[in-house]
Amino acid sequence: MTNAVYHDTVLFADRVSRVFQMPAGPVVAVRDLTLTITQGEHAAIRGPSGCGKSTLLHMLGCVDTPTSGRLLFDGHDVTTLGDRARSLLRLRQIGFVFQRFFLLPMLTAAENVELPQAEAGVPKAERARRTFELLDYVGLAPRAGHRPSQLSGGEMQRVAIARALANRPRLLLADEPTGELDQTTGEQVAALLDRVNADGTALVIVTHDPALAGRARRILTMRDGRIEHEATQ
Amino acid sequence: MNVLGFAWRSLVRQPARSTLGILGVAAVGALLFDMLLLSQGLLLSMRGLLDRMGFDVRVVSSDQFPGPGPDLDDAQTLAAQIAGLPSVRSVVTIRSESADLQRAGGESVRVTFLGVGGSTVRPWTVVSGRDIAADRELVLNAYAAEELDAAPGDAVLVKAFCFPEDTAPPQQTFRIAGIAEFLFDAPDTLGAATTADDLALACAQEAGKADFVAVVSAGDPEAAAAAISAQHPDLRAMTNEQAVGQLQQRGFTYFRQISTVLSTVTVSFALLLITVLLTVSVNQRLGEVAALRAIGFSQRRVVLDVLCESVLIVGIGGGLSLPLGWLLAQWLDGILKRMPNIPVQLHFFVFEPNALAVHALLLGATAILAAVYPMRIVARLPIAATLRNETVS
Repeated sequence: MTNAVYHDTVLFADRVSRVFQMPAGPVVAVRDLTLTITQGEHAAIRGPSGCGKSTLLHMLGCVDTPTSGRLLFDGHDVTTLGDRARSLLRLRQIGFVFQRFFLLPMLTAAENVELPQAEAGVPKAERARRTFELLDYVGLAPRAGHRPSQLSGGEMQRVAIARALANRPRLLLADEPTGELDQTTGEQVAALLDRVNADGTALVIVTHDPALAGRARRILTMRDGRIEHEATQ
Repeated sequence: MNVLGFAWRSLVRQPARSTLGILGVAAVGALLFDMLLLSQGLLLSMRGLLDRMGFDVRVVSSDQFPGPGPDLDDAQTLAAQIAGLPSVRSVVTIRSESADLQRAGGESVRVTFLGVGGSTVRPWTVVSGRDIAADRELVLNAYAAEELDAAPGDAVLVKAFCFPEDTAPPQQTFRIAGIAEFLFDAPDTLGAATTADDLALACAQEAGKADFVAVVSAGDPEAAAAAISAQHPDLRAMTNEQAVGQLQQRGFTYFRQISTVLSTVTVSFALLLITVLLTVSVNQRLGEVAALRAIGFSQRRVVLDVLCESVLIVGIGGGLSLPLGWLLAQWLDGILKRMPNIPVQLHFFVFEPNALAVHALLLGATAILAAVYPMRIVARLPIAATLRNETVS
């Protein structure tokens, strides 16, 4: 696989497996799985609990390493990268949205969004402009100075999405992004994610929620560490 | 937001815990500071007193100073010989005996009675009246004057008790020239001083004996001591520095040993305190740390965050510990100085810049060492497993 052939491929998982060594014996969470994520793609991964969805997402997001197989990001093998290079890749190319938001409670919404930019070395003035732009994008510019404890669950997740987009990633990974939200708020967050994807960011969502999965153009259903079914719409 | 700013926000986030940590470090740091002041305090204070007396070389008959060495016989000749050395500016002989002083019709008071011969340099400072200027005059310290209810100009009867004690000298009448301050006086010391000749007169002995000879060098005490030793190989000439060195070897080591043990204990306590605080704090926000790592924070960055938190706690606590330690030192010094025969001007806790540097160094090392374990936790944090556990929990 080369950039020349798959020029619009963001991520290519080549027969990846993840085995956890447990006291009772090895547990295979992801089994010999191959997957391609292209630029601007909107994919949802669903399946029963323990089927390996989150483990796959973590491997795609380079926070976990496959036990076997290769993972190519923009055509480059990232499986063997060191911690520093992987951190840099995550910082600049991959955005993460978590079920439990993981905003830093001692920082304001704006500071939370600014944080990854500061880590990436973005100049202060540009950070401020980008932060305002992102908070405006997620509809929370008036709440920029509010701490997470002063925001609702939906607002916190929107700030988390703004944070994930801070360094203009090519790929956004979301693990149960509506898992902690009520239906109405969840739909608002889902609509926001649709918009992010429509604006060009590849989006991979892990979810139990059929409605959220139904918004994706490609739905992957996992079972026992494998993709059991794939549908496009 | 830089690493230090981020660490500061993390501390402010848990104000109660952070405040307790800072206060704990302040208390421990104050004790540490006091131990450092104590470790050298007596020696520095003693050195200061010796220097303030105005003499920089002392000549004694044995290696022990201060101590009950044999008297120097024919001290006047000895002083004259030493005074003739080019490296010596002036010389006095000092002899100490006991005497009963009594005003007419009053109670007698037992005093330490000094006899000083040689140059006009005096090991005391006159605070009222005048210095000895004529025969059979003496100066008293304030406590002796108070006990005798005497003032400059008054006459006192002196009955000296001199070595060898089989002599029984008659009472002599002396006039009080002035009230003087003796640097080595304890609060309850009764002291008086006169010339060497008048002390010999009071003792009914020939003048000439002295406990030691005090020398003012021409500027180089080492050279003066060497010249005296060469001139009188049977005697021991020691500079103030060497005299303090003798004290350090002979008795003051206890303070240094106590100080070392207590310093070690206090630093260990600070180390444990900060380690526990940071470990608890880090363990409570493992999910956040994993999330930060997931969004691209490097291992180095999250480790630095923890280190900076430790540095901030220890830095702020350490800063507070200095005024606290100084106040505590004053209080402890007051308690220790209540021991008998401790000169008023001698201090157990003495500030020196080196103590401040060692204090900062020890606390800095504590901050780093205390952060090692919590830093290790965040450095080795499995990102994916932690995110999974946090979501499940």
